[in-house]
Amino acid sequence: MRLIEVEGVEIGIFNCGGELMAIEDRCSHDDGPLAQGEFDAATCTVECPRHGSLFDLRSGRPKTLPAFAPVETFDVRVEDGEIKLEVE
Amino acid sequence: MNPPPETATLDPKLAEREAIKDINQDYKTKFGFNDPETGYVFKAPKGLSRQLVEDISEYKDEPQWMRDFRLKALDHFLARPIPQWGANLNQIDFDNIHYFVRASERAETNWDDVPDDIKNTFDKLGIPEAEQQFLSGVGAQYESEVVYHQVNEKLEAQGVQFMDMDTALREHEDVIREHFATVIPANDNMLAALNSAVWSGGSFVYVPPGVKVDMPLQAYFRINTENMGQFERTLIIADEGSDVHYIEGCTAPVYSTDSLHSAVVELIARPGARIRYTTVQNWSQNVFNLVTKRAIAERDATVEWVDCNLGSKVTMKYPSIYLMGERAHGEILSIAFAGNGQHQDAGGKIIHAAPKTTSSIFAKSISKDGGRSTYRGLLEVAKGASEARSKVVCDALLLDPESRSDTYPTIRIDESDANVGHEASVSKIGEEQLYYLQAHGLDEEEASKMIVNGFIEPVVKELPMEYAVELNRLIELQMEGSIG
Repeated sequence: MRLIEVEGVEIGIFNCGGELMAIEDRCSHDDGPLAQGEFDAATCTVECPRHGSLFDLRSGRPKTLPAFAPVETFDVRVEDGEIKLEVE
Repeated sequence: MNPPPETATLDPKLAEREAIKDINQDYKTKFGFNDPETGYVFKAPKGLSRQLVEDISEYKDEPQWMRDFRLKALDHFLARPIPQWGANLNQIDFDNIHYFVRASERAETNWDDVPDDIKNTFDKLGIPEAEQQFLSGVGAQYESEVVYHQVNEKLEAQGVQFMDMDTALREHEDVIREHFATVIPANDNMLAALNSAVWSGGSFVYVPPGVKVDMPLQAYFRINTENMGQFERTLIIADEGSDVHYIEGCTAPVYSTDSLHSAVVELIARPGARIRYTTVQNWSQNVFNLVTKRAIAERDATVEWVDCNLGSKVTMKYPSIYLMGERAHGEILSIAFAGNGQHQDAGGKIIHAAPKTTSSIFAKSISKDGGRSTYRGLLEVAKGASEARSKVVCDALLLDPESRSDTYPTIRIDESDANVGHEASVSKIGEEQLYYLQAHGLDEEEASKMIVNGFIEPVVKELPMEYAVELNRLIELQMEGSIG
């Protein structure tokens, strides 16, 4: 996982078996540092280190409580060997 | 054993007489006895370790994923500090607890096959009799594991699954793996992490679409050993349009040193389903009761927690409901009775996460003889949960100047059209009320009991008759100061 900051927003970038995913580093439950939780490349999920909510990195949706709202996801692409994020 | 008759109910007068006849027996005689441990299959030495967690998993012959889940949960538990925001948990000596005690070989389906001492205990507690008279199924857990489990044949034929969680993991591994710890993850809180590491026993219930379970399912939890830790795990899934009522009761012997009960209960109500979960908690006053209970209610589903806390030394329990689908409905009815030396830190949480959802929290607490009760609750209307409606009422009754009551209600609203009401009251038992009742021929004790009964009546009336009688009787015992 790589953590970057764009205009004050921290974003975690993950490599799910060659496919890159990016989510906001902020759990929708209580603003915990989501991207810094345990990452499972096989299921493409990350577990919030604060209360254990498991998030699908593709959709940003939580698969378990206590979080119930999705987190923001960002389109990622690789161009000329550079990782580019689409941040509105 | 004979299956319970389909429509039998206990004659109300008979039930009341039965309940009242033991009124002067104290907790120690009625519930606080203990059995010899001869015949126990396995008793782990005190203390928690990685080896113990591996041994439990090995002993139960679990799949690798469950062993991994347990070990990861242990790491979470060890990494977390003891919470300081609620009741005092610093007094728990986690090294002085037996985390796994197996009293019999397996969960029997016939009471006659249950070892004699254990069967006698459940006979004394009236469980086999209740099963015959008004229940659809019974699970009886003794120490760490379930010793008896039976479900009405008619329900079984309709596809209702009601079994202990260890058996469910063996027989329905895919279902358990899909749902286990999705409502309460291992790292949700320190005690959920501990439960996840050493869990044993508890119930698994699955009700197929459209099936209405007429009479309640009941689980009874009994601790026998001194310094015991009981960590059951319950998962109830009510499929679309189904309906089930699950009741749990619990007692333990009176010891001079502490035991720990830390359960995790997860409920999933699919669209249009209804789950009612009733607890009559009557642990002896040497038990720390630290339980995590949480439910998901999908579209048009209803979840109701009816939570009665009478026993234990310290209870921390806040059943919660996540209203995840449109028009889902949640209700929490909570009674806490704190006597001498007890702290009941209870309440409830409801989270409106979808439009047109409705809820109520109705909490009543009584403090007596220096007991302390705390209401702690959350009502949240999340963004997107438009047209949510909720009412929160928490009332506390103090019976003497030595007792204490605290209220910590939290309300968070992120939708402008939410309709939320909140009422709270703290009252002392009034001289005038007592005088009025005494003028009508009651003595002071009878008058106090009547006031308390009137105070909790709105919750008691929600219980099935047999349990309402039991609860009234337990409260009378509490009033006499003889519980625990």
